Amino acid sequence: MVLTDLQPGKRATITNISMMSDILKQRLIDMGVHEGEEVCVKCTMPFGGPVMVEVAGQCICLRRKEAACIGVE
Amino acid sequence: MSQIALFGNPNTGKTSLFNNLTGSYEYVGNWSGVTVEKKVGILRSRDAYVVDLPGVYSLHPLSRDEGVATDFLLTESFSTILNIVDASQLKRNLHLTIQLLEFGKPLVIALNMIDVAERRGMKIDVKKLADRFGVPVVPVVARIGKGMDELTEKLRSVEQTKPFTLTYDDVIETAIATISSYLPDDIERSKRWLALQCLEGNERVYEYLRAKIALEPILAIRKQTEESIRQLPHGRSLRERLHHFRETFIEAVLEDVVVWTEKRSLTWTEKIDAIVTNKYLGMPIFLFFMYVMFMLTFDWLGSPLADLLDQFFSGPLTDTLSRLLTAMGASGFLQELVLNGIVSGVGGVLVFVPQIFILFFFISLLEDSGYMARVAMVMDRLMEAIGLNGKSFIPMIIGFGCNVPGVMAARTIEQPRERLLTILLLPLMSCSARLPVYALFVGAFFKAHQAAVVFSLYVLGIVVALLLAKLFSSTILKNEHSMFVIELPPYRMPQALTLWRSTWDKGKGFVRKAGTFIFGGSVAIWLLSYAGPKGLHVSMDDSFLAAIGGVLAPILAPLGFGTWQAGAALLTGFLAKEVVVSTMNIIYHVKDTDTLQGLMAHYFTPLSAFSFMAFVLLYVPCLATVATIRKETGSTKWTLFAIGYALAIAYIISFLIYEGGKWLGLS
Repeated sequence: MVLTDLQPGKRATITNISMMSDILKQRLIDMGVHEGEEVCVKCTMPFGGPVMVEVAGQCICLRRKEAACIGVE
Repeated sequence: MSQIALFGNPNTGKTSLFNNLTGSYEYVGNWSGVTVEKKVGILRSRDAYVVDLPGVYSLHPLSRDEGVATDFLLTESFSTILNIVDASQLKRNLHLTIQLLEFGKPLVIALNMIDVAERRGMKIDVKKLADRFGVPVVPVVARIGKGMDELTEKLRSVEQTKPFTLTYDDVIETAIATISSYLPDDIERSKRWLALQCLEGNERVYEYLRAKIALEPILAIRKQTEESIRQLPHGRSLRERLHHFRETFIEAVLEDVVVWTEKRSLTWTEKIDAIVTNKYLGMPIFLFFMYVMFMLTFDWLGSPLADLLDQFFSGPLTDTLSRLLTAMGASGFLQELVLNGIVSGVGGVLVFVPQIFILFFFISLLEDSGYMARVAMVMDRLMEAIGLNGKSFIPMIIGFGCNVPGVMAARTIEQPRERLLTILLLPLMSCSARLPVYALFVGAFFKAHQAAVVFSLYVLGIVVALLLAKLFSSTILKNEHSMFVIELPPYRMPQALTLWRSTWDKGKGFVRKAGTFIFGGSVAIWLLSYAGPKGLHVSMDDSFLAAIGGVLAPILAPLGFGTWQAGAALLTGFLAKEVVVSTMNIIYHVKDTDTLQGLMAHYFTPLSAFSFMAFVLLYVPCLATVATIRKETGSTKWTLFAIGYALAIAYIISFLIYEGGKWLGLS
């Protein structure tokens, strides 16, 4: 399953970030979003807007289609 | 004097640390080729410079401003690295620390936000942390300036100990050794660091090496290493593998250094976020904040201050100058030049200083508090639809105040194309300088519907900007890869010193401009109205200004205002849009607004007046905005494009308004 399938407030572990574009992947890795890290969806914006996720105690906002490239379990 | 370079992740309190560490503010300058400013201050002990560099997550840059930090390491000479580390985000922050340690210069870690970390239940053994990395670690609270003395002491005494080396696996170590052997012996930077950065794929380092050696062998080694890494069971990329080794090392250190006392409870950042980034409330709350901000800037607080300043310029200042000039025995020409040209020209711009500073204060407040990132998040969906991203929205809002800071605010946008598009469209936001023009015309022609007419012009500007954004982003400025990732930093109580410095930083350029090219422009325009082909002090209709305006008149005729006066007013309006009003005052030989409005009925109809207002809204950005666009884009071509498309769209829309209105039987 991917990050966007996750219910808001539920926690999961990132299992795969290889589906993302290189530049995005690097930015997220730099921010501490990588495989094995615990992730939690905080909220989503309406009309297919971006999602806010918490990873390692910090909040990051990314677009939904990009969040859909992050595999979680 | 020695130089200390300040490195750190974004949102770690770097600016606060810089402000508290340096007493005086030395200068702000541009790095060559990029429009990101570097700030250099002097240490309070007055024996070293501190260079504030853009916040970066790693030394491998993704955007132009991040490249500045890497370029600094490669090209500048400095003695010490000061690395600010957010204690509450230790794991992520230490990745940069390792890369900086590998660089091999003396380094001091300023461990910031230790209070936040403790509230999260983290107990950090500072001494152990220092031992594990082999460098001094000083706990500080940058916001209130705690720990600055000890930090300064450490910065002055730190010396190069044995270089820090993190051992990677055999494949990577072999690659490092091979690359190092290719590097010339007289190279000034650590070979191991350069090799590691090459393996990371750091373009800046490639560029640096390309000037010295042939890069192909190194790229070949990287490719080969990448392939061997991919064949490992994990199948990660080389860069991820490097990251993984650092991560493993950091985790081991943290295991040893950090004691977790309790599970953290809900922080107040999360409580605020639950409301302001609420799915349904987010947008209304943001609009409410904007309303309050603009009312304070332009109505409740800013306007009275601007009026006071205006009264001062037109009253006491003009009188004093007039008496002074008479006492000095200045000629009539000089008197008129100073009073009618310079005072009204430069004063007309300086009048806006209070409003500009109030607006900048609020923008600084938004930036420092952490709300700005939330705004970008709330607006991203809408902006994505027109080919921009959430970060473009902030400059546009600022543009309603003044286009100049709006253009500058576009710096925060990472993708060069989205940033350029934002800059190009900003002049369509109806800035406060256009309001006097609307006020004059709606007072004369639309007495019954003043607010509605002015509002329609604001909407016209926004609609045109959105449509053009869509048009440009799907044609000339196609964005190959639009991305939007933004860190939402915890809310922090803004500090007075930081707020003041950041307000002043933004506002001082405006004041400086008034003294330089607006000063020169005012003199030129006044001279044009004073002199004519037949000599000096001619009647207005025989002046050069009338001659130049007359050239424009036939071109403007299809728009409904084909007079030399309108042409001249529009021409001078390039200086600043509000100058349209003062030029009309001079041209029509009237002293006050009421008389002018009565007189204008002879030259305009309501339809042509509306057409004129639409033209003033859309046509060329003012001189200050053009200069800022030139500075921020670094491109004359795009600056000319910004002027050109605006003129074209203004002409088309005014033409449609006027001819369409006539066709509908309006006049």
